[in-house]
Amino acid sequence: MSKLLAPVLVLVALVVGLVVIDPPPPPADFAYINRGDVNTLDLQRMSWMQDLRVARMIFEGLVANDVFTYGFEPVPAVAESWEIERYTEDVGGMPIPRERYTFHLREDARWSNGSPVQASDFAYAWMRGILPDIASDYAKMFTFIRGVDDFKQWRSEQTRQFTTRTRGMTDEEKARAARELWDQTQERFRTTVGIKTPDSRTFVVELAEPVPYFLDLCAFPPLFPVYEPLVRQYDELDPLTGRIQPREGWTKPPHIVCNGPMMLTRWRYLREMRFERNPYYWNPDVLGVNSISIPSVADPNAQVLAFERGEVGWVSDVTVGYRVEMLRKKRDFYDEHKDEYTRLKALGLDQFEIDRRLPPDPRKNIHAVPAFGTYWYNFNCLPRLPDGRPNPFHDARVRRAFAMMIDKRAICEDVQRIGNPIARTMIPAGAIGGYASPRGLDCISDATTPAERQAMIDRARALLAEAGYPDPRQLPEIQILFNKDAGHDLLAQVVQRNWQEYLGVRVSLVQKEVGVFRDDLKNANYMVSRAGWYGDYGDPTTFLDVNRTGDGNNDRKYSNPVFDDLLLQARRETDPVRRFEILAEAERILVEEDLPLVPIYVYVNVYLFNPDLVSGINPHPRSEQLMHLVDILGDGIGPDRPRVMRHSPDDNPFSDAKAGRP
Amino acid sequence: MIGLIVRRLLQLPIILLVIFTITLALAWALPGNPLENPDRPVPPDIEYALKQQYHLDSFWSFYGHYLYNATGARYIKERAGGDIAERRRRAIESGIEPPRRPIFDLGPSLRQRDWSVNTIIAESLPVSMTLGGLAILLAIALGLTAGILGATRPNSMLDVTTLIIALIGISLPSFVIGTALLLVFGVWLGVSPVQGLHSPWALLLPAVTLSLPFAAYIARLTRMGMIDALATDYVRTARAKGVSERNILLRHALKNAFLPVLSYLGPATALAMTGSFVVERVFSIPGLGRNFVNAVQNKDFTLIIGVVLVFSTMLILFNLVVDLLYRWIDPRIE
Repeated sequence: MSKLLAPVLVLVALVVGLVVIDPPPPPADFAYINRGDVNTLDLQRMSWMQDLRVARMIFEGLVANDVFTYGFEPVPAVAESWEIERYTEDVGGMPIPRERYTFHLREDARWSNGSPVQASDFAYAWMRGILPDIASDYAKMFTFIRGVDDFKQWRSEQTRQFTTRTRGMTDEEKARAARELWDQTQERFRTTVGIKTPDSRTFVVELAEPVPYFLDLCAFPPLFPVYEPLVRQYDELDPLTGRIQPREGWTKPPHIVCNGPMMLTRWRYLREMRFERNPYYWNPDVLGVNSISIPSVADPNAQVLAFERGEVGWVSDVTVGYRVEMLRKKRDFYDEHKDEYTRLKALGLDQFEIDRRLPPDPRKNIHAVPAFGTYWYNFNCLPRLPDGRPNPFHDARVRRAFAMMIDKRAICEDVQRIGNPIARTMIPAGAIGGYASPRGLDCISDATTPAERQAMIDRARALLAEAGYPDPRQLPEIQILFNKDAGHDLLAQVVQRNWQEYLGVRVSLVQKEVGVFRDDLKNANYMVSRAGWYGDYGDPTTFLDVNRTGDGNNDRKYSNPVFDDLLLQARRETDPVRRFEILAEAERILVEEDLPLVPIYVYVNVYLFNPDLVSGINPHPRSEQLMHLVDILGDGIGPDRPRVMRHSPDDNPFSDAKAGRP
Repeated sequence: MIGLIVRRLLQLPIILLVIFTITLALAWALPGNPLENPDRPVPPDIEYALKQQYHLDSFWSFYGHYLYNATGARYIKERAGGDIAERRRRAIESGIEPPRRPIFDLGPSLRQRDWSVNTIIAESLPVSMTLGGLAILLAIALGLTAGILGATRPNSMLDVTTLIIALIGISLPSFVIGTALLLVFGVWLGVSPVQGLHSPWALLLPAVTLSLPFAAYIARLTRMGMIDALATDYVRTARAKGVSERNILLRHALKNAFLPVLSYLGPATALAMTGSFVVERVFSIPGLGRNFVNAVQNKDFTLIIGVVLVFSTMLILFNLVVDLLYRWIDPRIE
């Protein structure tokens, strides 16, 4: 018997031994569940929304966006002031308009180790963003800077030649060659790229052409600074390839050095991220809490349970199926307080503030917030299908006919059921201050009477006839490609039924795993597919650019010289009002005439938090949350006053009337 | 005995190399790009540069680089060449703690770019091992009790009840059991945390959930073994000698009935200790199992290979331990 007990005893010993779990830190002032686990905090290599959100809390750029204004006004951050200069440069006898930004860094901007934030930290970070070796996901944002394209080309060429050039060398010779190339690269960057640091507190950027939204870009984390002495040690030179090889590790405590309002003090893999106040932050009064925790909770159900139990104060992406039910209950709650709700709405208050002023009720904790992104359907615009047959969707008339026949209302109300606004434009209508969206194409759900409906169907069929398909059955079988999960299948079924019923075409559904789906999209190996896009910065080009001929994300392979030319004109236009008009015309061509894509709905973020308890989360559709602004009301830390969107009812571009919503 | 251990340990690296090659070949064939954020696809030139950075430009380039790093060859070379000392010196000069360099470098995760596979495994394996060990202990306790009780009175109410419970344990998926336990103990009774690993108590519910299928299987094995053992001649002799029923059950019958359980325990412990995706996800336990499914979904080669290698090593080692225990418990086995 004792022998039998032995293995058990060994196991007991093992468990007891391993249960020496490191002592958990005391609970943070505020805990929230991010959209997913953070993939990287390397500013120049990030692209995921959850990473950007954390980056905004622990790092700070030259400027910041005031997220509690609808215009997302740029406000001073590390730079306390800046000058913008327009000038023309004579290039080969051609006067080229340029723009120079001179940023003056504040004296009291400090890293979390006490060192001052210097212009060289920005210069180094931006060089990382530009260097092809680092392969920044957002490298594109730096291409506005003078000399960047040439520099990148030169560096790529040099590293490509390096292997052949150093073949047959000894390891030592290779290492020396790599070092020489790197020195040469840094020198070339200093002399040819429009990034200058005249002194430690002045940062000068010369743009190849005026970019009206450049300040908005400067508030984007890939353009934030890194602590140069630290990150340089991790950007290792690989003697075999001559390239800089970024090594992981510097983004984690105790190594990480931050310059934002908070600093990362603990990061346990798949457990928790913990943030505390950065003791050296120049503007501590803005903070509403002393510590923030992001536990890693992957299961959507457990996320909601964690909120109900009070273990977290905000779930930033509620994905459980029963959120539909929760949102329905919230509408019931509004109905019960209809008069008060209407009165508050008329005041032009933001949706969280309205909730705050209504009586306490657990039903009001769920919030559907329109996002800065659109869900749409792609048409493959190439003349031929992947199998060589002629592609009917090469003809804009066919695309328009199919686009008109999608019942967007049914999709929003019967499939999505979380209050997505119907989209008629690619850019969520009203999301960019001062930009007047085109009207967009009507779809079948806009018809109010059976007669109107029939007229619209006749119009679509006439378009098909014009395009050479008087009998829609002549069209090949239409295949809709989508990835499994996330309910894309249900939506595709509605579209399938619409097209079969109204156009009399054969439609089949092709569901693929997301990796295969992405590959198919990239290679234009589809006829019709689901797609979508979130904007990065407050300018129409953040959406429109993906339709430019040859753009890396132009999965539709759409190409219209008129559209491309309008984008080019807008680039050269210096009058901001006129520029928006040009861009609106470009979008009009997309969504009213050419329809390389059919906008279906505006994405919605579903949040879970108690508005009576928590303030600082903003309902702005750009979905940028500055977590250091979060404030637990009545806890004695921070301002303890609700932060609300500042505006008069008129300038709220997201009011239902402006967005064309009933 | 020593010969067996040495032989098995010598086989280990060869088996691991074969497993690595097969895993990489299979993972390579998966569709998709591990370096891509599907919400934010990158332009082709960046994609190319990223692939270069992670040596994903060709299968053999990745294969070679991985072995170069993982076997420690690179560390030895850089150490001998003075590179490591030079980098240390430069870091210390800048007032920075030098970047850590593991000897056996399994590379960075391709998706969780800030984490090396070494760190991921070092962080999550102990958690999974603790949870799995606890679950196996519970499973042994529950399974043996139920099996012995069932065997003493075959086909009685007690036997049928344990049979039914065992059946439920095997057939109910753990996300159902887990979510139900969370709801009852976490939300309604409020005696257990809903997420995370803030105290050893937080391991209890997941351990129970994880143990049930193992317990059920052990119960069935024990019951079968005990019924067979109780019908043997030596048990009859023992009874005739007047040995107490308790001693007959625990000393004589269980000893033989336990052997099939023991051989099951080897792979079962390895399985439990390398983590259950479902249980770890439902209870937000930061274990190895959660990594594995994520890694496959994201086509995160380095993490897939890292986890597979750990799992293989553990499976081989636990089987070795079971073989050794066999010989120790029953010296007749060679």
